[in-house]
Amino acid sequence: MALRVVHYINQFYANIGGEEKADYPAELRVGEFVGPGMALKQAFGEEAEIVATIVCGDSFFAENMDETTAKVVAWVKEQNADVFVAGPAFNAGRYGLACGAVAAAVKEQLGVPSVTAMYSENPGVDMYKANTYIVPTKNSAAGMRDAVKKLAPLALKLAKGEKIGASCEDNYFNQGVRVNFFEQERGAKRAVDMLLKKIAGKPFETEYPMPSFDRVAPNKAVKDMSKATIALVTSGGIVPKTNPDHIEASNASKYGEYDISMFNDLTKDSHETAHGGYDPVYANDDPDRVLPVDVLRDMEREGVIGKLHNKFYTTVGNGTAVASAKKFAEEFSKKLIADGVTAVILTST
Amino acid sequence: MKLELGFIKIEDVVLGSESKIVDGVLTVDCEAVKKLVLENDKIKDVQIDVAKPGESTRITPVKDVIQPRVKVEGPGGIFPGVIAPVDTVGSGKTYALEGMAVVTAGKIVGFQEGIIDMSGEGAKYCPFSKLINLVLVIEPIEGLKQHDYEEAVRIAGLKVACYIGELARTLTPYRTKAYETPTLTEGLKLYPDLPRVAYVKMLQSQGLLHDTYVYGVDAKKTLSTFIYPTELFDGAILSGNCVSACDKNPTIVHENDPVSTELFEQHGKTINFVGVIITNENVYLADKKRSSDWSAKMAEYFGVDAVVITEEGFGNPDTDLMMNCTKIEAKGIKTVLVTDEYCGQDGKSQSLADSNPAADACVTAGNANQVVVLPAMDKVIGTLDYVNKIAGGNENSLRPDGSIEAEIQVITGATSEVGYGLLSAR
Amino acid sequence: MKYFLISNNPLARDTLSAEHELVFVDGSFLDVLYEARDRCHIGHMLLSHPLSGSVKPNETLYKTVMISKKTGPTDLDSVLLLEKAIETAKKFGRVRRNWQQRELDDFQVVDLTLIQSAIESCNESYET
Repeated sequence: MALRVVHYINQFYANIGGEEKADYPAELRVGEFVGPGMALKQAFGEEAEIVATIVCGDSFFAENMDETTAKVVAWVKEQNADVFVAGPAFNAGRYGLACGAVAAAVKEQLGVPSVTAMYSENPGVDMYKANTYIVPTKNSAAGMRDAVKKLAPLALKLAKGEKIGASCEDNYFNQGVRVNFFEQERGAKRAVDMLLKKIAGKPFETEYPMPSFDRVAPNKAVKDMSKATIALVTSGGIVPKTNPDHIEASNASKYGEYDISMFNDLTKDSHETAHGGYDPVYANDDPDRVLPVDVLRDMEREGVIGKLHNKFYTTVGNGTAVASAKKFAEEFSKKLIADGVTAVILTST
Repeated sequence: MKLELGFIKIEDVVLGSESKIVDGVLTVDCEAVKKLVLENDKIKDVQIDVAKPGESTRITPVKDVIQPRVKVEGPGGIFPGVIAPVDTVGSGKTYALEGMAVVTAGKIVGFQEGIIDMSGEGAKYCPFSKLINLVLVIEPIEGLKQHDYEEAVRIAGLKVACYIGELARTLTPYRTKAYETPTLTEGLKLYPDLPRVAYVKMLQSQGLLHDTYVYGVDAKKTLSTFIYPTELFDGAILSGNCVSACDKNPTIVHENDPVSTELFEQHGKTINFVGVIITNENVYLADKKRSSDWSAKMAEYFGVDAVVITEEGFGNPDTDLMMNCTKIEAKGIKTVLVTDEYCGQDGKSQSLADSNPAADACVTAGNANQVVVLPAMDKVIGTLDYVNKIAGGNENSLRPDGSIEAEIQVITGATSEVGYGLLSAR
Repeated sequence: MKYFLISNNPLARDTLSAEHELVFVDGSFLDVLYEARDRCHIGHMLLSHPLSGSVKPNETLYKTVMISKKTGPTDLDSVLLLEKAIETAKKFGRVRRNWQQRELDDFQVVDLTLIQSAIESCNESYET
């Protein structure tokens, strides 16, 4: 008997429509295969069949994530799937996040193996690669053939319950787990081959990527602090009371810019933390503990620093993507420079 | 410097009463070997045995693996400064016995380690399971100190390897290969357009049970220096390292130096392989700074475009590896590193004890913490008493049915950091 | 003497104390690293590698580390190397078994010889 596959796609690949139809609600189409499902079906051959296709608009999913995920999981269970396939999503961000979310949920809640496929820069990769298998694809649907060629064999292997090899053997994004395997060539030969590529300036792939830290070389020391304008910036989530811009408690999508020219001291009546990743009691009780306005005002008075900049910038560092944090900083750094700030004190939690 | 290496194929090894090699069959005179080993009055007894590929045999605890070689033309002898007198080797003609090795075994310290399985799961990970092994299990006299025991076993293995190698002196190799390293100026004339490449080989040199010898000199007392790769092929570098079975370099690996061999394959075609810079991995931090400064300085002076750097061991050597890498890269010389990993049984932890963004090209020999089950073997050469004590084992490693559950750390040569094996990880 | 030793190795203490200043830590491998790190924070320099030896931190119980007597501004490299070593030692986890005295003795001997190789290097070198 053929293995049972349930396939998830968005409204675009189901030929319903583009952005204008992104609010299309989730639906189960039993016995149908649609769009990329055709190519998958062909690749599966006799070994597996797509027993159902789930179609869902990207905005609908994003806005009803929890309920929709639950619905998808229930449908996959009902269909008695041997493997769940989502996408490929290529470089479509919301689609990628949806594919990652449903694939991870199916795996976690049902124990049914799952796999999806997308482009390396799709935010779904970083978010879900540890929780499901994600096959790398090109950045547009032009890479469909190539994507299916890698996706289908991995899906079959998963459906059969076979042992999955290292990420480079079975074509998926490394899940943050190192897996041993035997190469065709010995290490010394691989080292020399890699060296030849490196010498020639050709692309090469390291077998062990060093843990990457985005290091920033420190600026030169401030010569005269007594004339310096110092700004405060925090990822500790300090915001004016009631969090007027609704900065999220985790995975922040924005930062805030607030005036402190009228404050000598932050208090529980004036400010609070929006951060959801640490016990907020002490920060709410005295927000200076995270954003030390009081101490800097003292220093201003004593002439240790020239002055405290009249605005502070704040976001929540809790699970916030490095890419978002980078984007925030790029924006407000320009403002800080334009405002003539000499140096910044960054506080965390 | 030019060396012609001739290979004598050994198809079988048998124990007998006369030592000879006839039609690919090596017969070993047990009494003669025993006498040779017992010349050292620190050794009480030696058991001699043979283990062949495919047999249900386990050798443990393994100390060293040595390939018998004999120098038939040119100055010096195999293992100069230790077995042969000090003389520059690496030129002329040398014969190597292919398909077999001398393996020394003996419990030097309580946590002594090293398993070679001749079949089963463990054999997949061990490069020496594919060889016919002449095993010497060496027992010391009562109360012998660890370092004296190590030295006695080390020398005994080398002596026996040279004794066996000598039997090949008058034979005709079934294949030969010539390796030649021109001088710097000749190389420039010969290959003006090829990128110049050196090999920076780090030698384990931390202290007792962690030593390597270069022409008989303890590597920790050396400055980084130049050596012709063919000198390695004549046994100029040998192992006194007994710790961390999976990623130590037994003497056979130095004799067959894999990186030099692969660089020679490209020599004159895609690169100009100028030679080997050897450097150490001392415990004293100022030594590390000096040695890595020195290897970078030599790479610069030789005008190389790129180097392969290899390490031996984990922890302390990771720091030397990163120092060598960053200092050499800082001189505009490209690097590729070879290492292995200790990222936990689940593969989720940090792999190296030190890291640097400059190390952007890295070959890995795999995660040494990976757990394997080695089936019970019909025959054990050495003793299983210590299996629970070896690195990568635990108190439950040896199971009642004789099988062993342990990390691949216990397998000799499993994660060779000079790229001797096929294992890798992602 | 331009250095002192921090050790939890009884053999190192008994062998080296007569001629060397040795701070004995009655604790674990990690405790020795913590002690060394704390001293580096107050300006001593680390002189020997904290992960010396191929015996893994979850096998041996013993560690001896060499620190400069002289103090100065905090040497960041020393602190970082110790922090990395602490992280690594923690990653390896607890020592897995109850060793017999014979094995404990051997671990002590190995640790002693590792630090002796550092002492030898240090004694021969110019005062830093």
